[in-house]
Amino acid sequence: MAFRRTGEVTWELAPEGGMLVPGRVFASEALFAKAESDRALDQVVNVAHLPGIVEASFAMPDIHWGYGFPIGGVAATDVEAGGVVSPGGVGFDICCGVRLLASNLDEAAFRRHQKAIMAELDARVPRGLGKGAIAGRRLLEAVLERGAAAVLDAGFGEPRDLERCEERGTSEGADPSTVSERARERGGGQLGSLGAGNHFLEVQVVDRIEDAEAAGAFGLAAGMVTVMIHCGSRGLGHQTCTDQLAEMGRAMSRHGIEVPDRQLACVPVRSMEGERYLGAMAASANFAWANRHVLADGTRKAFAAAVGTTKLGMDLVFDVAHNLAKIERHPVNGKERTLCVHRKGATRAFGPGHPELPGDLRKIGQPVLIPGSMGTASWVLRGVENNPVFDTAAHGAGRLMSRKKAKQEQTGVEVKRGLEEQGIMVRPGSVRLLAEEAPYAYKDVDEVIDVCARAGLAAPVARLRPIGVVKG
Amino acid sequence: MTRYETLDHTADTGIIAYGANLGEVFENAAFGMFDLAFDLSAVPAAEERQIEVEAQDLGELLVAWLSELLAIGEIDDLVFSSFQVAEIGEGRVAGVAAGSPSRGIELVGPPVKAVTFHDLEVAEAAEGWRARVIFDV
Repeated sequence: MAFRRTGEVTWELAPEGGMLVPGRVFASEALFAKAESDRALDQVVNVAHLPGIVEASFAMPDIHWGYGFPIGGVAATDVEAGGVVSPGGVGFDICCGVRLLASNLDEAAFRRHQKAIMAELDARVPRGLGKGAIAGRRLLEAVLERGAAAVLDAGFGEPRDLERCEERGTSEGADPSTVSERARERGGGQLGSLGAGNHFLEVQVVDRIEDAEAAGAFGLAAGMVTVMIHCGSRGLGHQTCTDQLAEMGRAMSRHGIEVPDRQLACVPVRSMEGERYLGAMAASANFAWANRHVLADGTRKAFAAAVGTTKLGMDLVFDVAHNLAKIERHPVNGKERTLCVHRKGATRAFGPGHPELPGDLRKIGQPVLIPGSMGTASWVLRGVENNPVFDTAAHGAGRLMSRKKAKQEQTGVEVKRGLEEQGIMVRPGSVRLLAEEAPYAYKDVDEVIDVCARAGLAAPVARLRPIGVVKG
Repeated sequence: MTRYETLDHTADTGIIAYGANLGEVFENAAFGMFDLAFDLSAVPAAEERQIEVEAQDLGELLVAWLSELLAIGEIDDLVFSSFQVAEIGEGRVAGVAAGSPSRGIELVGPPVKAVTFHDLEVAEAAEGWRARVIFDV
């Protein structure tokens, strides 16, 4: 296997063996060298075997070794030409994503209230093994059906929140009947909780504006305090993927499909099993939209309680998913096709003029949220025209170091002290877990953003610097 | 004999579990999965759950067994620390898992979200059996 550099930030592997399309990676020299150091590129090759795949098996600049798809992997299949859907192209944390709120506080105002704000967030954000703040079977059923709209009706958040959420917080085609009773039992009580691992709630400050017009349209300005929430569909999504993968493994042979990795199990989109998966995935995505919506509501309440006023802005900038498969129309070889676009650790990035964007953002393009690691910058970008990967951009810094190695470098207590020395308040559910998520375990997010810009995946709008972290 | 070792996987976590026989490798894989997130030496086997799953091949059976333990632990808020396989064949495993309520037990690693098929292996080795499994965390 020999990838060839075909441009400043593009690397390509011509089809070999059973590959149906080339492999194409967007990376700088340094980022590509990191991708070569583990098995992520083998996974780009494996994905190129998926029946119906078009153009290429793509990877974003934050590519790293995952299971099935690489993290940062993007593949689109032609639905009308037997194209498949693969749960491995979505992952277990269905509709994991990022939500950003913009307050009207500046850093000095935050510093005046920081102890109270962090204490309120600490008390109000369920995380780790913690269950959510709300439960109830009737609400759960409504959430599976209608996503964020259901929790809005139940009194959480505000109507504008839906305008600023990918798919308006309700995934099309959700079929709650395909979500198992076990998934409901496992995840039902976790609505409104953050979880653990790399998920977080972070207080940040806008430290640089790269595109003033777009920043203005997104409601962002230099010096403004923001809150970023990163989490997904919790146990409900994990169980749904587990259930669907077991079913799909058996169905695959009926469809005469073979794949190089069992985790890439797939069936045609236009099949009973394919439709079942997409229905279950959309219902789980609805759980995730609703989960982030409820967490944002709790965040607003925490800030209001700590500062003593509800007039803090706290408007939703946007909410994006980075683990989803979607049926979208894109041109392939000059012809519009209906594609099933898998984004596994990759963010949808619609450019200006896209009809699915809210009216006031249509001129600018979709906000694209790319979190860095704990203690380093995060970014807001915007979608651009002529994106070369079915309107997709990166999703994060991308891990550099295994969890095992990260823990050998420093203890959680040392990581916490290091962050606090930089003026970042940390409220971990468990201090020991911090070591695995330490800043040095991740790639440099600024370099990922630079490649996104140079490759025409998205354009930088604002850089956000962390000042407070809440983790599982 | 080492019950399990952790593997270096960039984003997630994997283990290699060992056992004198197939049943033991299933027990030790389950132990490893929970031991990644909790200090199991401090978790008494106070509550029991019967576990029984079926699958088409050994790899699938291991994934089903571990996935079942994960789901039941999360639903019943239990951390399992002790595992006993009573019966195991190509297509079926039955046994008992025991542990304690998760409330108040500190996380020492991120809890496993799911059991993947990626790089999965259950095989007879020079001495007994070994299984490699990658978790999504």
